[in-house]
Amino acid sequence: MRTSTPSPSPAQAPEPAWRHRSSPFIARLGRLLGLGLVLAGATGQASSSLTFEKDIRPILKAHCFDCHGEVEGPKGGLDVRLRRWLVAGGDDGPALVPGKPDDSHMVRLIENGRMPKRDKKLSAGEVARIREWIAAGAPTARPEPDELPRGTSGITEEERAFWAFQPIRAAEVPVTCDNDRARTPVDAFLASAMAPKNLRFSPDADKLTLLRRVCLDLTGLPPSREQADAFLSDTSSNAFEMLVDRLLESPHYGERWGRHWLDIAGYADSDGYSEADPPRAYAYKYRDYVIRSFNDDKPFDRFVIEQLAGDELAKATQANASALAVARAEDRDLLIATGFLRMGADGSATDALTDRDAVRNQVVADTLKIVSTSLLGLSVGCAQCHDHRYDPIPQKDYYRMRAVLEPAYDYQRWRTPSERLVSLQTDEDRTKCADIEAEAGKLTAEREAKTKEYLADALTKHLEKFDAALREPLRAAYDTAADKRTPEQKKLLADHPSVNIHPGVLYQYNAKAAEDLKAMDAKIAEIRARKPAEDFISVLTEPADHQPPTRVFHRGDHRQAGDVVPPGGLSVLGAAGQPVEFPAKNPELATSGRRLAFAQWLTSGTNPLVARVLVNRVWLHHFGRGLVNTPADFGMMGEKPSHPELLDWLAADFMKHGWKLKRLHRLILTSTAYRQSSRRDPAAEAMDPENQLYWRKPMQRLDAEIVRDAMLAASGALNRKMFGPPVPVRPDVHGQIVVGVDKTEGDNKMPVETPLHGEEFRRSIYIQVRRSRPLGMLHAFDAPVMEVNCERRQNSTVATQSLILMNSQFVLDQAARLAARLEEGAPSDRPGQVRRAWLLAFQRSPAAEEVAEAVRFLDRQIAHLASLSPTTVDDKAAKDGKAKVEPRATPERQALTNLCQALLTANEFLYVD
Amino acid sequence: MNPSQDQRFPELGRLTRRRFLARNAMGVGSVALAWLLREERLLATPPNVPRNPPSFDLLQKAPPRPARARAMISLFMHGGPSHLDLLDPKPELSRRSGEDYPGDITFSFVDRASKKLLGSPWKFTRHGQSGIDVSELLPHFSSIVDDVTVIRSMHTDINGHEPSIWFMNTGRAQPGRPALGSWLTYGLGSESQSLPAYVVLTDPGGHPVDGVRNWSNGFMPPLFQGTVVRSAEPRILNLDPPPHLKGALQEQNLAFLAHLNREHWARHPGEADLEARIASYELAARMQTAAKEALDISGESEATKKLYGLDRDETREYGTRCLIARRLVERGVRFVQLFVQGQIWDNHENIRSNLATCCRKTDQPSAALVKDLKARGLLDTTIVHWGGEIGRLPVTENHGAAEKAGRDHNGQGFTSWVAGGGFRGGLCYGATDEFGHKAVVDRVSPNDYHATLLHLFGIDHAHLAYFQNGQSQHLTDGKPCRVVKELLRDA
Repeated sequence: MRTSTPSPSPAQAPEPAWRHRSSPFIARLGRLLGLGLVLAGATGQASSSLTFEKDIRPILKAHCFDCHGEVEGPKGGLDVRLRRWLVAGGDDGPALVPGKPDDSHMVRLIENGRMPKRDKKLSAGEVARIREWIAAGAPTARPEPDELPRGTSGITEEERAFWAFQPIRAAEVPVTCDNDRARTPVDAFLASAMAPKNLRFSPDADKLTLLRRVCLDLTGLPPSREQADAFLSDTSSNAFEMLVDRLLESPHYGERWGRHWLDIAGYADSDGYSEADPPRAYAYKYRDYVIRSFNDDKPFDRFVIEQLAGDELAKATQANASALAVARAEDRDLLIATGFLRMGADGSATDALTDRDAVRNQVVADTLKIVSTSLLGLSVGCAQCHDHRYDPIPQKDYYRMRAVLEPAYDYQRWRTPSERLVSLQTDEDRTKCADIEAEAGKLTAEREAKTKEYLADALTKHLEKFDAALREPLRAAYDTAADKRTPEQKKLLADHPSVNIHPGVLYQYNAKAAEDLKAMDAKIAEIRARKPAEDFISVLTEPADHQPPTRVFHRGDHRQAGDVVPPGGLSVLGAAGQPVEFPAKNPELATSGRRLAFAQWLTSGTNPLVARVLVNRVWLHHFGRGLVNTPADFGMMGEKPSHPELLDWLAADFMKHGWKLKRLHRLILTSTAYRQSSRRDPAAEAMDPENQLYWRKPMQRLDAEIVRDAMLAASGALNRKMFGPPVPVRPDVHGQIVVGVDKTEGDNKMPVETPLHGEEFRRSIYIQVRRSRPLGMLHAFDAPVMEVNCERRQNSTVATQSLILMNSQFVLDQAARLAARLEEGAPSDRPGQVRRAWLLAFQRSPAAEEVAEAVRFLDRQIAHLASLSPTTVDDKAAKDGKAKVEPRATPERQALTNLCQALLTANEFLYVD
Repeated sequence: MNPSQDQRFPELGRLTRRRFLARNAMGVGSVALAWLLREERLLATPPNVPRNPPSFDLLQKAPPRPARARAMISLFMHGGPSHLDLLDPKPELSRRSGEDYPGDITFSFVDRASKKLLGSPWKFTRHGQSGIDVSELLPHFSSIVDDVTVIRSMHTDINGHEPSIWFMNTGRAQPGRPALGSWLTYGLGSESQSLPAYVVLTDPGGHPVDGVRNWSNGFMPPLFQGTVVRSAEPRILNLDPPPHLKGALQEQNLAFLAHLNREHWARHPGEADLEARIASYELAARMQTAAKEALDISGESEATKKLYGLDRDETREYGTRCLIARRLVERGVRFVQLFVQGQIWDNHENIRSNLATCCRKTDQPSAALVKDLKARGLLDTTIVHWGGEIGRLPVTENHGAAEKAGRDHNGQGFTSWVAGGGFRGGLCYGATDEFGHKAVVDRVSPNDYHATLLHLFGIDHAHLAYFQNGQSQHLTDGKPCRVVKELLRDA
């Protein structure tokens, strides 16, 4: 039931969409500060609770360690990593006098702005904290270690104790007093967190709302008539659970949830980096692998291992990968899975690179960023140049992880993107190709002979234009090889430039000859086109027995390579004082086995980050916010979990039951939390304005792909074909990127229309992701442009979106299709058409007043349209340029089209309740 | 939460709710200039992996240094106007017309190549107080020389049209980089939120060589792409309703949509996103009106129309676009660029008649634009640029009879002129050799030209950076270049 309500009070102002766009650094610093205050307050004690390890060291680490601790030979002889070294001081004497902030040199230097020299200055809050700590005698939490390793900030007990690095503990499911509403353990955790604030779940949403919500959520498509009928007529108590099961079995599930994974994997169909942005013709096989894996509910640990080390599972090497891929479909899929590690932009094939090694190392750095943000939820990349400023990630850890990739990504024995492709050609095809190439070679030789002949003829003919006396010297000069010409000959040719006839300008002398050669080219191309197409897969492989050393790059600069480090993971996740290291070489494999070891470390079940990060991502997509609302940063600068026990319980359950995503979806979707209404409640809002406790289901705008796909579904145009090469994109006559074959004609590159035969109506996930050419319709609605990968999408509300919805050809086309569909279904039954329009667009029947209002709109428009004489409508534009001239619709059809457009662009369509 | 209570954004307390919504609907970010943010990001990201801000917008941004110019109109004369016959008189060339050129020449069309010098058939006379020599082909330009800086030493050193256009328009002689207009709007945003920031006025006769790439945003977000205003409907992509919906029909549609959205909102009270989207539709409709108003020249006085030559067939079309360009910068558009159809200035043959035709089309409107801007007090802050990507050779491209003669491409030297926005008036700068082939004195490269433009906009070209795949990209492409201070009024 829906009730009308007064307009909202101004107090319920919107969450500003741009809040997330403020400088992340400033926001993070603010949080750091806030964190400190909360901690101080939580203990309920005065300033004496401040300790060096907990409160002061993080400030010094962020601002000072770089010069005073992490480098050999600290600046001014001062190392600030330990309290007692501050007291001992450096060249300028003691930096710290316990109990006397005013006499402490460090305070003076900080307050007069001389320190830190670079970077940002300390905030007033941070300075105040340092003063307070010194005034309290500068206490430490425990006796300080006798020594610290040189050149690194090390990892403290406080840092190890950070929540994200703690083992995942499956807490007892709480017993809640809200038992009448709690359906699942998820509810029990949420309800018990709400109880202290006297909040309760909102009532369940009605069945129609739930239907649309869960269909769009799981499949990215609105419910079909059949899905709706089955659910709405099912009166059994577990009707919703059954619906969820059916949707999880839909092939469209993988298309929707695979897309979420492709965001964080940084999927693109082009290499990026350069302006040319060369297409990646075979990347789509990884996309298809992801969709299949989601549909098959492949255990996620297995999914992770395959993506990181599928080649090693298949025992493949660079040399035998092709043979394995041809011989066994299973091995081929395992190799395709490593496409995950080939997602980063790769400009190493670009011509004329100024710093080739930097470009190669950038590929490795981007790949590491994708791996660490997607699976570890940490900004490991910040440790590329120095120890992480906030998180306990020493620079060496970064290079240990880099060593995991080094055998495959050896920047000193680099392979360009095309060299990394693995052929799927069979021996038989290879022979066939060689035969055809031999045939083409014959014709090529003929063409060369012919070219010579034509050039000679052209020269003879051209020379006739000159004085007879000049002809022979000119010919002699022309016939002499350029480097053998005498100065006189050179001058002669320079003075008579038109004699310099070469193949490129032959057309200017003898058009027919040029045509003739062109025809021969076409014939050669025709012969070559008979070759059986060679198919490839884009994979990551290692050469056999190739373990190049990995060195720590000073300041991240590959030209300043330092110590060699072995492969490994994050030290903070290992035993205290011990780095996490993997064998440099797995004796059972031809390759190093490093990535396999790394993948097994991630998925062993004891890694505290991986399962939490994955479970949090799933939650984020279902609710629009994560339990940790910084999904790619579980570190000190990230947000703390709103429901740590629930997060752990879900993560533990996920691992315990075989890392099955579909089980996790069921757990979340069948909860009351998910099923409840999105309605706001002023009383609850006063307690929890941002709904952090989940007392209502948040409304969500459709993702970019879903806006497009849902329009196609409503209009009936949607082509549900799955998999395969991407549907191409091109700039249209205005430069906007649209679906289409990129073909132009003439000097001014006017686009040529090429029929796509229904491919243009495929789901958005199958449309080419060219980094330099984001599809206008998707980009406007915040689909990511892959610089590296997308940790979380923006959600913008901008006027350009409205203009696209009002006037773009795509939207107008879908509205017209939907109108035609309605007219066919119920000719001349206006109320009937309106009712069906509502069903197709919103999946609900309109109320009587809505039908009446819509019919009144149609009548008004039809009358208006009928009153227009044909000349009133401006046809000039249609005739202008290359615009399509379409037959004018009848007033009835046009009015209905307009109604459909309003529905397809209405908030009820664009948002999920 | 009430945004006015959000202490991280104290400035919001001063905003009315209505304005807040309008700003929100335009996709406002609180992001400052991306290139100034770099300092802060150094802490969070490795210094060699710079990143752009998470989102981009077209809000007006103050330049880091005092600016002389706030808008620019570029009258792009692609094809290669013959500087030798228009703005760079060469007495020596006329004197030795018919003799052989004494040095080396790179030709594009070798079959018709000749080394015979071709003196200009047109007379040059001095004009204005500055006494700048102008060809008789440009009678209207002659009347504005005291407001104009003529640069006679432009060069791309490449003969081809496309590479030279890329160089002049994007800073590198390769395709795919963001255009000058993209850089300006990326750096400075727009003064108007109801008009596109970067407008391209295309010729009804068709696109220039290389088509839409001339106003491409390259690797930047599409927000910074030039918005094409065509001379026929639909004039702006997605902005105007299709012809059959125009007027009352779309108004009814939007009213019905607003009704649906209000009803829906009433069922979801307090959902600010829904309200913001309703506001964004209103704003989009306002943009339609604003653009329509800006493009409608019917309210201009007869004198103004006459000034631009709207009363004559030869000048009406180009004059209309020049007039629209003025109306756009008047309303806060940052960068307007006009193209001509195809390659009208590419006078390989029949230069005597063809060059005169080009001048008849463009001379009066171009001069009118400068005069009109000046009369309205806009010239001080608006840069006007006139010029192509190459010039033409001093030798004849022979087609037999003398009157059929033309000139081949010349990327070694050519002439552009600029006016307003802090450029000095009545100045002739740089020189080509005695025959007008190569720029030899005070050479100005496209990178120098761009650095100078950015300087007038209050931006140091080395500081305006966009981060692309870990690389810091600049309009001037890291090439050696300088602000040509000699061209500026107060250097």
